[in-house]
Amino acid sequence: MILKEIKGTFFLIFFALVTAFFYNHFSPSGIALFGQWQTSNGVVNAISKTDPVNASIEINNPEIIQRIIQKKERMVLDVRPFEFYEEGHLPGALSFPLMEFDIVIGKLLEMTDQHSPLLIYCSSFECMDSHNFATNLNGMSFTNVKVYPGGFRQWQEMGYDIEKNEK
Amino acid sequence: MKNNTNAIILFLIKLILGITFIYAGYHKIADPAGFAKILYGYAIFPGGSINILAISIPFIELIAGFCLIFNILSRSSLLLINTMLLGFILMIGFNLLRGHQFDCGCFSFSSQPQTISNIYLLIRDLLLLLSGIYLWMKTKTGVLR
Repeated sequence: MILKEIKGTFFLIFFALVTAFFYNHFSPSGIALFGQWQTSNGVVNAISKTDPVNASIEINNPEIIQRIIQKKERMVLDVRPFEFYEEGHLPGALSFPLMEFDIVIGKLLEMTDQHSPLLIYCSSFECMDSHNFATNLNGMSFTNVKVYPGGFRQWQEMGYDIEKNEK
Repeated sequence: MKNNTNAIILFLIKLILGITFIYAGYHKIADPAGFAKILYGYAIFPGGSINILAISIPFIELIAGFCLIFNILSRSSLLLINTMLLGFILMIGFNLLRGHQFDCGCFSFSSQPQTISNIYLLIRDLLLLLSGIYLWMKTKTGVLR
């Protein structure tokens, strides 16, 4: 008796799988069969047709980031919401929340030009805000934008200096 | 009269289970990348399986929900729904036991924090599973085809 239901279940699963992979292949929001889920390779993501992640602009090494910050080689932008920035941020970082991009971009253009070296970070490897911000900047002809994929969480876990309550 | 009441209760259970799964599947289909990230957040699945699951699960939910409501292989779809519910309960329970914070992604994965507690989610899935088991037992006795 139950065998009949189990056979039907396998048929339903088979039908669902065929439909799912066919739909995923043609859907504008479709994803790759295998995503990028290793933090050692940068920001984790499903590699979808709509993801902004560009691994080639990532600097996935906190020691290099520390050197960049110590030597002030790049302007550092914290794109998390301001409340998080207030609680703590990378030394010398400025608050440019992604959610207020249209407002803060004017401020950025006043402070620098499109060829200045910038370093963007958000909260962690799971966060794509830094890549979204970088994509927006690249769309405005910024030419030297890098992303720190580990973000604030990795910086904190490394035990590096953190600044607080400064805008 | 009693049979009518029973039939209505069973129909309502079927409708609730079916609509729940159709809705759960539908919104995941709209954003497979978001659902994949939720699966990653569970910290249970190997990296190589996350995208495959994110593509497959929503369609299995959607088709099982539709088939249950429209009486197409209805007992098979109910078996599938009950099995999925059991799987969700085990995963949520496992993460609760080990104190792992996660967003279930059951119905929405907006950027806002998950407000419903994971214990609530576990209770909700348990109630759905109990309803599903009840429906399974009743349909077996031929009360509702």
